[in-house]
Amino acid sequence: MAAGFKTAEPLEYHRSFLKENCRPDGRELGEFRPTTLNTSSISTADGSALVKIGNTTVICGIKAELTVPPSDAPNRGYIVPNVDLPPLCSSKFRPGPPGEQAQAASQFIADVIESSDLINMEELCIEKSKLCWVLYCDIMCLDYDGNLLDACIIVLLAALKNAQLPEVTINKETDLAEADIQKKKPLKIHRHPVGSSFAVFDDSVILVDPTAEEESLSTALLTVVTDEEDRLCAVHKPGGTSLSGEKLQHCINRAITRNKEIRKLVDKVTESTKTAK
Amino acid sequence: MAGLELLSDQGYRLDGRKATELRKVQARTSVFAQADGSAYLEQGNTKALAVVYGPHETRGSRSKSLHDRAVINCQFSMATFSTAERKRRPHGDRKSSEMSLHLKQTFEAAVLTELYPRSQIDIYVKILQADGGNYSACVNAATLALVDAGIPMRDYVCACTAGFVEDTPLADLCHAEESGGGTSLALALLPRSGNIALLQMDARLHQDHLDALIEAAMTACKGLSKVLDDVVRQHLEEVSVLTRD
Repeated sequence: MAAGFKTAEPLEYHRSFLKENCRPDGRELGEFRPTTLNTSSISTADGSALVKIGNTTVICGIKAELTVPPSDAPNRGYIVPNVDLPPLCSSKFRPGPPGEQAQAASQFIADVIESSDLINMEELCIEKSKLCWVLYCDIMCLDYDGNLLDACIIVLLAALKNAQLPEVTINKETDLAEADIQKKKPLKIHRHPVGSSFAVFDDSVILVDPTAEEESLSTALLTVVTDEEDRLCAVHKPGGTSLSGEKLQHCINRAITRNKEIRKLVDKVTESTKTAK
Repeated sequence: MAGLELLSDQGYRLDGRKATELRKVQARTSVFAQADGSAYLEQGNTKALAVVYGPHETRGSRSKSLHDRAVINCQFSMATFSTAERKRRPHGDRKSSEMSLHLKQTFEAAVLTELYPRSQIDIYVKILQADGGNYSACVNAATLALVDAGIPMRDYVCACTAGFVEDTPLADLCHAEESGGGTSLALALLPRSGNIALLQMDARLHQDHLDALIEAAMTACKGLSKVLDDVVRQHLEEVSVLTRD
């Protein structure tokens, strides 16, 4: 009976739960789904992590390559993030070139890396206008159940913290780069940006961490990214119904508490992999 | 052979296995919620993920659908970070198109497609970490995903590679052995009937040795089928405990 009601009238179905201040999966309006993190999952990558937020699963592998720094910034390396939504993660996505959502997510992640000052790009430079690191961060969604951006930011942060780069020196005589595979160093992570996503339901009710179904029924989406010193790195609200300043402030406050929860999780996992080694 | 001794005088291989020994296989089914069936499989250091959607209405052009059976659509891809060198194209290059086709042909031999006329079954496989035997890991993972999706099959499809070094057949090659230059044969078997669904060998081998090589691969496949069967039974047991009233 309930399944039939859910299929025929999904909006009414959700409203009947929201009236009681809860959601179909038993969560409260301001509650995130359980978030789990695993690092060093892929040994062929220089750094890797897997994050699950409820059913949403994303994996990130980082591959570092040596290249020539871009001519407009000869003393900086760079990071290339790429978000992939393959057809295996949901029947919503079709095979073929990356869709709009995947491209928008890639760009959003690139913007967060730029604005949050996550890594000092100058530290990725090995020799000015000659040699620098480029970090390819390939993020792949394996199971899509909403809130992709939050998962992507956590997985990126965890994978970058997990990454180990070999020491590279330029041999003065031969002018060739020499990598020392034995000596590997972790990257210096300066900031810890964490995102929190919200869905606006019926122009007024705000839900935290929407599932895929809640995302598709909502009237507006909002993602707030903050760092550990409570500074905003990005606020992203792609259209939809308007939101009052007061409600936005409420969302930002929730994002700040979420940042602390995730930082604890990331630190705990990083610590446990260190002791395991 | 390029300074690498694939088989020591004592009969041990690079990773310490005996000639007929398989790598450790670990697998789990029902790993994802969105898909109709899914499985994750590790065969040594090779990690594969398989997801099945369907049977559902044919997507795209109607002309692709068959009036008497289901169409199987396979897509093979490798994560960009799965190999030592970063892959520029995760799918769509010639090698992965060939792999997709081989998978499709393998499963057309095993799935009872005639039960679902005018429909489509999607099988997506992804290699997350590659260490030789990509094809066999994909087939084994996809079999588990199909079982998880409840799609009727004639039998499990089990695949394994076998190589030939110094007159000895080696089962389940790792990357170092595959790229060592020796012969490599991939075989997909329906173990109960002993029928071969797919056999591929692209290297030179004296025909006298072929039987021994196929025999080694078939024994390995039968060993694998036990492992896969255990995974399915264990999963069913867990589920039945959870759903018991």
